[in-house]
Amino acid sequence: MADVVLRDVRKSFGSADVIKGVDLEARHGEFVVFVGPSGCGKSTLLRMICGLEKITSGQLLISDENMSEVEASDRGTAMVFQSYALYPHMTVRDNMSFGLRMAKTPQTVVEERVRRAAEILQITHLLDRKPKDMSGGQRQRVAIGRAIVREPKVFLFDEPLSNLDAELRVQMRVELSKLHNEIGATMIYVTHDQVEAMTMADKIVVLRDGLVEQIGSPLDLYTSPDNRFVAGFIGSPQMNFLKGQIVEVAQGAARVSVPDAPDHLLGIPLRADVSVAAGQQVTVGIRPEHFLGTPGGPGLEVSIDVVENLGGIAYAYGRTVASQDVILKAESETPPQSGMSVTASIKDEYCHLFDGNGQTLSMPAGALRTREAAA
Amino acid sequence: MAEMTSTSYQRTMSTRGFYRKHKLVIMPFVFIAPAFAMFAIFVIYPIIQSVALSFTEWQGIGPKRWVGLDNYRELWGDRVFWTSLVNNIYWLVLFLLAPVFGLFVALFLNQTVFGIRLVKSLFFFPFVVSQIVVGLVFAWFYDPAFGLLATILEPLGISFPPILADENLATFGIIVAGLWPQTAYCMILYLTGLNSVNPEMIEAARLDGAKGWRLLVKIVLPQLRAATFIALVVTVIGALRSFDLVAIMTEGGPYNSSNVLAYYMYDNAIFRYRMGYASAIATVLFAIMNVYIIWFLLRLWANEKGAR
Ligand SMILES: Nc1ncnc2c1ncn2[C@@H]1O[C@H](COP(=O)(O)OP(=O)(O)O)[C@@H](O)[C@H]1O
Ligand SMILES: [Mg+2]
Repeated sequence: MADVVLRDVRKSFGSADVIKGVDLEARHGEFVVFVGPSGCGKSTLLRMICGLEKITSGQLLISDENMSEVEASDRGTAMVFQSYALYPHMTVRDNMSFGLRMAKTPQTVVEERVRRAAEILQITHLLDRKPKDMSGGQRQRVAIGRAIVREPKVFLFDEPLSNLDAELRVQMRVELSKLHNEIGATMIYVTHDQVEAMTMADKIVVLRDGLVEQIGSPLDLYTSPDNRFVAGFIGSPQMNFLKGQIVEVAQGAARVSVPDAPDHLLGIPLRADVSVAAGQQVTVGIRPEHFLGTPGGPGLEVSIDVVENLGGIAYAYGRTVASQDVILKAESETPPQSGMSVTASIKDEYCHLFDGNGQTLSMPAGALRTREAAA
Repeated sequence: MAEMTSTSYQRTMSTRGFYRKHKLVIMPFVFIAPAFAMFAIFVIYPIIQSVALSFTEWQGIGPKRWVGLDNYRELWGDRVFWTSLVNNIYWLVLFLLAPVFGLFVALFLNQTVFGIRLVKSLFFFPFVVSQIVVGLVFAWFYDPAFGLLATILEPLGISFPPILADENLATFGIIVAGLWPQTAYCMILYLTGLNSVNPEMIEAARLDGAKGWRLLVKIVLPQLRAATFIALVVTVIGALRSFDLVAIMTEGGPYNSSNVLAYYMYDNAIFRYRMGYASAIATVLFAIMNVYIIWFLLRLWANEKGAR
């Protein structure tokens, strides 16, 4: 059973179309992450689900019920805002119980739920404080607590961690995942941080300009992005993109010449249903980790500008002979030095291939492997 | 010679040392001193002088005669004084409608609709014009022969007395005129307050099921406490010192029925040359205001302590 279903949902503010037809499903208990660049409509989508924004056209179902005429407070959703949006004049206890009191829940039930939520979030000792006397992380917990006590079917989070410092963010990320396992409710989580998306999601929805670019598991998006945008957005550091040209197509694979690696023809397996022709201009995508560290051999000649050594791994930023910026990942025991010139040989079957419109043509090995594992 | 220089040198050293040691205590006083001097000369001294004057009989020139509490005894038996005092209470109570109206107008204006800027500036308008103009406009408005009110009501067959000439209605006519700019003032205070309310918090409250009246009372109003406090203070003070509208619209009449303490004081001082008696009225008004001022200061004090 799907907890949340969107069918061709659209939203316009005046003449500005912000959401341009979104279809998606969140199954019960799923952790769904909306990710996309700032301004792509993530918040708007979330606000339409919880009822803060009217849907211009399309359908929204929560637990198989059409929500078009249902009040925001009766949808069985609870939202956690980026600014926490706590009531500053109330204690933590009152903040958390406000919704229940508005719904005329019996006092004993209210107390019990607040007590339990506070225990889960370890904020029992803060219950009598006001928001102004707490740290950012503590306020965040209270905001989550306010959602928990309402026992919603669907939790909605709008960039809840972006106001926290890096360390706290990592900690809260883990705690939110734990919370999800504990409560088991459906959660929809908005972020522009692809690390959050990759680490927390059961299912990622990549949005751009009010349209869904791709929906899938984190690994799916990572190994077989449907287009160049998703390929570039998922993965850190970014995938490298090189210009190329198809030389010939044979046996479900394309041979591609790349000016950056003049002495090497790439052999890239193709998807079944794509039409490609020799001579076609394409873009080759290679993730930094898919270069082989072998010195010499055919590959990409890169002069290294900067090396970031993270301990364990290192990222080398450099330029190819065709002056294309590339990032290489290397073992940091033998990292390249800046100023050095290295040859990065390419694992052909891990390369991605995109046509002029950015649509994916290739069937990379990683995708094949996950597909086999799933079967 | 050498000894002298050395002692004077030591003295400057020691005064410098004293200053340095107590710099944190001294400097605040140094900074406050100019403002305090002005305040003392132009506020505190006149207050003392005025209270002193209230125990004398004086015509503005010539000798002052000490009369003790005579002026206050006379006030006690003065019918006009009591009328003025009661009118001041009417002002005070009815003026408290200004923050209420101001709040609702502000809530109404605090939305983003096409043309709201124009509507807002229309509501700001009475705050910008002088009280004198407000008084004149309302005097014309009430005019029984040519006034707008008469023009509107008479075709409907509603007849009404000449408001400013009716001893039972005059005060209320003036108060209504006074409420107009006062509402605008409170509205501005509330609009500023509403501006700093986090819209996400209102949305959170909506998701929590708070709507309409409950949303206003439980969530919005508590955020506007500072604005409400200031609105109350300026409104109370404004009601107690109401003067210009009375002077313009009725001069206290008819038969002193719309008089207020501030105008009665002015009347005694300027037209009857009874400086001592006028000072006694002023002193009573000052005492009444002090009740509010002390409340105001206590609140400020409590807030400051709370903030620390
Ligand atoms: N109330 C509104 N009126 C007009 N435009 C809006 C409104 N809310 C959002 N938008 C526009 O919709 C687009 C998407 O906004 P939003 O959903 O907040 O993006 P995101 O959360 O992905 O950063 C933005 O271009 C924004 O300017
Ligand atoms: Mg957003």
